[in-house]
Amino acid sequence: MPNPVVRWQILSPEPNQAAAFYQKLFAWKLDQANALGYRELRSGSDAGIDGGVWPAPPGVKSFVQLFIEVPDVAACITRATELGAQVLIPKSVLPDGDAMAVLLDPTGISFAVCQTNPQL
Amino acid sequence: MDLRQTLTAELGQRRLRNARYSLRAFARDLGTDHATLSQLLRGRRVLSPRLVRQFGRKLHLSTADIADASEQHHADAILRLSRLASFRPNSRWIATRTGLSLDSVNAALARLLHQRQLVMESATQWKFPHPHHA
Repeated sequence: MPNPVVRWQILSPEPNQAAAFYQKLFAWKLDQANALGYRELRSGSDAGIDGGVWPAPPGVKSFVQLFIEVPDVAACITRATELGAQVLIPKSVLPDGDAMAVLLDPTGISFAVCQTNPQL
Repeated sequence: MDLRQTLTAELGQRRLRNARYSLRAFARDLGTDHATLSQLLRGRRVLSPRLVRQFGRKLHLSTADIADASEQHHADAILRLSRLASFRPNSRWIATRTGLSLDSVNAALARLLHQRQLVMESATQWKFPHPHHA
């Protein structure tokens, strides 16, 4: 199926606490050895998808975002806005080369679209 | 939230209620000294994280508003740093240079992206399209 959900992300005002909780509960591997210090949580299983934890904006309760992999982030943003989405964070290229954008769907749910290192 | 603007607006409000209300009195009410407050309001001094929290409490701002002011303060610190020729588009480097935690830096970067004050064009190139007065 095209455009799969490839990861989840918890945004939390207490990212350390959230990451430690899920790491301990499910024996997931926590890894921050990346350019952003992003808290990657990996199950090590072939089933399901991995995720991570990011600090939430001020005054916002914890929530979960899904990441959908698309072949072209810019094209997806255009189509999403045609369908009524808003752009929260425009297309951004992360230090690992992956591109992503965060959108708000017409019902108020935020989600991210991503593209694995477009230069590769 | 821009705390400097909030302070200026609050001083104006207090002067509307009492024309003799002085900057010195405002400084006293905020728990700081006149010279510090004067420099802060004129943008000649940068608010420290401690003062952001202290002023927020004195102004009876909500916890969320104080957190928002703190994050804006962090974003302003990154914008100031971005003007240096030696600036590196790297969260860990920014954290080291600003003394902020990595989480604070990353949250502030997300804020700048949201505000369109930062564009991550490539893995190694960031642009700050709207120079800030901070």
